Amino acid sequence: MIKHWWKILGALLVLYAFVAGLLIPLKPGILDVSPEMAKGGSKITLDINAYNAHLSQAKEIGIWLKMDSVHFVEGNNIRILSDNKLKTDFQLPYWKSKESAKEMTLILDNEIDGYSLLPGAVQLTYGAPDTSGISSNQWLPAINGQLHQKEGLTFPYRNILYETIRNLFYHVPLWFAMLIILFASMIYSILFLSKKNQKHDHAALALAQVGILYGILGLVTGAIWARWTWGDWWSFDVKQNMSAVAMLIYLAYFVLRSSFEDYEQEARISAVYNIFAFATLIPLLFVIPRLYDSLHPGNGGNPGFGGEDLDNTMRMVFYPAIIGFTLLGIWLANLAYRYLNLKERFLDRYDN
Amino acid sequence: METIRQIPALIAKEFLLEWRSKYALGGVLLYVLSTVFIVYNGFIRVAPPVWNVLFWIMTLFTSVNAVTKSFSAENGNRQLYYYTLADPSAVIFSKIIYNSLLLILLNVLTYFAFSLVAGDPVRDKGLFYLAILLGSIGMAVTFTFISAIANKARNSATLMAILGFPVIIPILVSLIKISANALGVITDTSVGQDIMTLLAIDAILLALAYILFPFLWRD
Repeated sequence: MIKHWWKILGALLVLYAFVAGLLIPLKPGILDVSPEMAKGGSKITLDINAYNAHLSQAKEIGIWLKMDSVHFVEGNNIRILSDNKLKTDFQLPYWKSKESAKEMTLILDNEIDGYSLLPGAVQLTYGAPDTSGISSNQWLPAINGQLHQKEGLTFPYRNILYETIRNLFYHVPLWFAMLIILFASMIYSILFLSKKNQKHDHAALALAQVGILYGILGLVTGAIWARWTWGDWWSFDVKQNMSAVAMLIYLAYFVLRSSFEDYEQEARISAVYNIFAFATLIPLLFVIPRLYDSLHPGNGGNPGFGGEDLDNTMRMVFYPAIIGFTLLGIWLANLAYRYLNLKERFLDRYDN
Repeated sequence: METIRQIPALIAKEFLLEWRSKYALGGVLLYVLSTVFIVYNGFIRVAPPVWNVLFWIMTLFTSVNAVTKSFSAENGNRQLYYYTLADPSAVIFSKIIYNSLLLILLNVLTYFAFSLVAGDPVRDKGLFYLAILLGSIGMAVTFTFISAIANKARNSATLMAILGFPVIIPILVSLIKISANALGVITDTSVGQDIMTLLAIDAILLALAYILFPFLWRD
């Protein structure tokens, strides 16, 4: 039992990644508002759709539109329609620039959900004082009162991502684990070439099998994520294409293995190809995507997944998920390796 | 030292073989011309972005065809004889150098033939020839090595395609980008970086071919 500790750890970490990653709720946020454009000086009624919020139970609801850190307008006459819906009135100040509209951020705050932001919620367009002398609201220099913080564990709420932010715990760790496992497979191929021990070849083959399984799972989870954030299962993203090509390289490894009659030759030549394949995998996944625009975070001028997106609650699940999926993959490879060794020992290779 | 002395002799042998069996070179030349003509007939008027991609696809298929035979043209016994005479790294280097020269010739010919019928949209000739040079070397390294692998297995013609095509994609993709710059299809200030990337990929594959080939030929 003691020597199997890493298998138990791997299984537990994967289980933890599934339980915590799927059950921890998203922080309340704002889905959308209407209208999205308003004239300076006008009085508007804003419909706000929130997500995961508890508006009907909240006592102290505050709503502001923020232009910059010293220009705020407060919403008044707040009507709560349901937990996630409310209406509020704004008396907007004048906006004197005819050329450019100004984006304003919506701030929604209550004591249960904490505060949430929607950047660029409302665009303030030109509207200057008219002669009839209707009084207009003035900017507030700051929010009156304190914003609340949400208590308890939550994942960050991000527009576009919404609930799919959880896929970070599965999609990214699967690729990390695949790279580690394929690297190990290459190391065993090098060992085989230098020591000619048949077990090293079995280890390289077993690891490559698990690596390609993880790669396919990574492609599938990526396609699901792409469907809900970029709009299509396959979005002609360069990284998506190159990952598919990487899978072809490793599928070719299995075809190569099956096209020899002599085992010694099969092991030696496929080891050579495995090393060559890993060397082309690195430019495919890490160099080529930098030459082209990619939709992936961290490529083609997109911000990386970090900072506010990867907060401490996310890290608490993300890092264990990487370790968990890697250990689980090594366990799977270990089973395949032992199966190959037993088959070699008890069955004639060419007898099936 | 011994290795370096062997390389020119082995390259000379490759040229001699090519010259004696003229059908092989003639076949590839005819392949280039007929591919160009088929593509031209299919498209007639070719816009620069399409011209770029078509050109590199034609060179890809020509290269595979030209390089596939580098190990299968001579039978196993004769190869065994070479290996008793020469160092394995001399064998692979001579084949790579010979194939690079052959591919440069074929790809420049493809360029001339294709621009003769479909027009020549290349603006920056120097950059385009550099792309042909680096591309030919990269394809020669990759396909020579893959043909050494495929030649050991059964159904080597199929294997050549399924092993070679995915592996060549990093080179092909960066080539298409560099030559898109030469055609003025895109303007990229970091084209120098792309060239360095391609050079680095070529160098890595060449180093691997050098390190790994001794394990391939020893049967």
